Amino acid sequence: MMAAISKVEVQQAWTIARSEMRRAFLSKRGLWVYLLALFPCAAFLLQGLQLKLMEERWSRNGLTSAQIVDSFTKGENVDAVLKRAPNPSSDHEWTDRRDEDEDRDRHERREGKQAPARREEPERRRVISYFDGQRKADLDFTNGVLQEKHVRRSRDFEQDRRIFAVIFQFFYLRLAIFFGCLGIFMNLFRGEMLDKTLHFWFLMPVRREVLLAGKYIAGLTAASVIFGGGALLGYAAVLWPHNGVEGQAFMAAVGWSHAFWYAAAAVLGCLGYGSVFLAAGLLLRNPIIPAAVILLWESINGFLPAVLQKLSVLYYLQSLCPEAAPMDENSPMLRLLLAPAAPASKSLAIVGLVAVTALVLWAASRAVRTIEINYSTE
Amino acid sequence: MTSSEVIFTDVSKFYGEVLGVNKVTLHIPSGITSLVGPNGSGKTTLMNLMTGLIRPGRGSISVLGISPSEPEKLMRVTGYATQFDSSPRWATGMEFVTTGLTLYGYSQSDARDRAWQALDQVGLTEAAERKVAGYSKGMRQRVRLAQAIAHDPKVLVLDEPLNGLDPLVRADTISLFRRYAAEGRHVILSSHVLQEVDLISDQVILISNGMIVAEGEIRGVRDEISEHPSQFIIRCRDASRIASLLFCEDHVTEIKMNDDRLGLLVLTRNREEFSRALTRIALAGHTIDSVIPSDESVDALYEYLIGGGRS
Repeated sequence: MMAAISKVEVQQAWTIARSEMRRAFLSKRGLWVYLLALFPCAAFLLQGLQLKLMEERWSRNGLTSAQIVDSFTKGENVDAVLKRAPNPSSDHEWTDRRDEDEDRDRHERREGKQAPARREEPERRRVISYFDGQRKADLDFTNGVLQEKHVRRSRDFEQDRRIFAVIFQFFYLRLAIFFGCLGIFMNLFRGEMLDKTLHFWFLMPVRREVLLAGKYIAGLTAASVIFGGGALLGYAAVLWPHNGVEGQAFMAAVGWSHAFWYAAAAVLGCLGYGSVFLAAGLLLRNPIIPAAVILLWESINGFLPAVLQKLSVLYYLQSLCPEAAPMDENSPMLRLLLAPAAPASKSLAIVGLVAVTALVLWAASRAVRTIEINYSTE
Repeated sequence: MTSSEVIFTDVSKFYGEVLGVNKVTLHIPSGITSLVGPNGSGKTTLMNLMTGLIRPGRGSISVLGISPSEPEKLMRVTGYATQFDSSPRWATGMEFVTTGLTLYGYSQSDARDRAWQALDQVGLTEAAERKVAGYSKGMRQRVRLAQAIAHDPKVLVLDEPLNGLDPLVRADTISLFRRYAAEGRHVILSSHVLQEVDLISDQVILISNGMIVAEGEIRGVRDEISEHPSQFIIRCRDASRIASLLFCEDHVTEIKMNDDRLGLLVLTRNREEFSRALTRIALAGHTIDSVIPSDESVDALYEYLIGGGRS
């Protein structure tokens, strides 16, 4: 059994953790971890930046009031529209000669069929766009008559939050944190074996369990800062373009709580996956095997019965997420196969993750006692 | 259980199907003990076993009464300078030694003082703040030695400690070992330089193919090798006369005369009888300037017990 850790051993674990943090944060082997962690943030920042640039372009000729935008109706004449709203954000006009007709004709001639009769008069097409500061309206005219009106919000906060929830659950938790923890935690022992430096720690007056604890703290600190920080930065990047009334209202209501739970899920993901990969690094030489097995288990988990779903780190992490990731409406087969277990309560999810972590770390502490230095076989 | 010895009891270690050491039973007292044997004979395996870096497949080991499976106790009394020529990339020489010392419970300032003393003993103070990864091979050897001695251990285990050291540092290091031995501590080292082993060792352990071939004081080990006659070099003025007198002795198996006819190499099967015969010859009025045993050295023991192919 893992004996209790004394005060001296706590100091030793902290000394080891401090030394190992440099390795965990700045390992050349692990720089790609930062790319994984910052990907959602970078993606949303780029999207936000693109949006701001587009809005700036759309509003260069001034904004059109929302009432006027709403007043445009199908069948209206282009002159009447321009009279009401003389400053569109863009105006494109062209003659539609139906190039596609020509393509079709060419194809049918090749097939030996007779070409159908061609349209006699080309159409005059015109698309005029207006921007009211929040929505963009594209008015599609044919021969001067309004045929279609497409109005869309330039910023859709709800949609952005849904996209973030999907990215967080399907990319961040399943892949980024998973592989990030693989890189950080496997490196703690296995990396030192490869560098032939593990004996440095084994020759210190330190219980192996304390060494394990020190290294785990270092890895967990690094992973939590990188991925917890990455989650918060990603969330901030989602909010950034929505800094108006809507954004402020959301933050005042549930925004801070959502930010906290996203960060908490990321940190708890590091806690759970970290312990698993630390133990795997002690027991196995090749990280690909445990990574593949665990990834497979976590991936097929949604298709398993509810009881088995609860035996995965992902189940608890998803239970902590503040917004559910919407399922693809266009995949009825997937909806049929996927039978998500009812999410655990947040407190149960935390207790479950901590319990799994404690169990795995206990197994790792047993394994670390029997590890031998045999660099020649690495 | 407390003990003042390093004890191996019927220890075997296999790496898969490859033999490391087999059925080793040893009692290593304080003083300087050298492990001697060819490459792959099991010297490093013995050292790794006694410091807990590897575990025996069979048998038990005790270092001053402490099991190597308890590093928290063992490494407080033991320092090990390994042959692994790699060190943490982040560490300067000072950090390399200091980090270890803080784990021994020294405060940061005490650890730095001790580290400085240890680095001073191995002549490495000038490079103390440089990264170990940038050190030369000899400097890395010295910084490992500094780390091993920094906490003042009772048992110092050193794998080829004199490799790569310049003559001055080598002399200082040997005097450090002697000082440790004089204080009643254990200095257990392996070396390929047999003359050096001869010079500094209180006892030797000869190992070959994972088996202990001989152990003990060099003289004692030599006495036990009965199949090889003992060799003595006699310096005298009347070498041919003394040679003829010695030929009459049953225990003398061979005599070679020096070219200068002022010396003899005598091979005898009985050292005591040989000693008595020399006394008789001297009392009969023949002048004997000196009698020196020529094969009471690790070199000779190695040759007799392990044979050629020395590394």
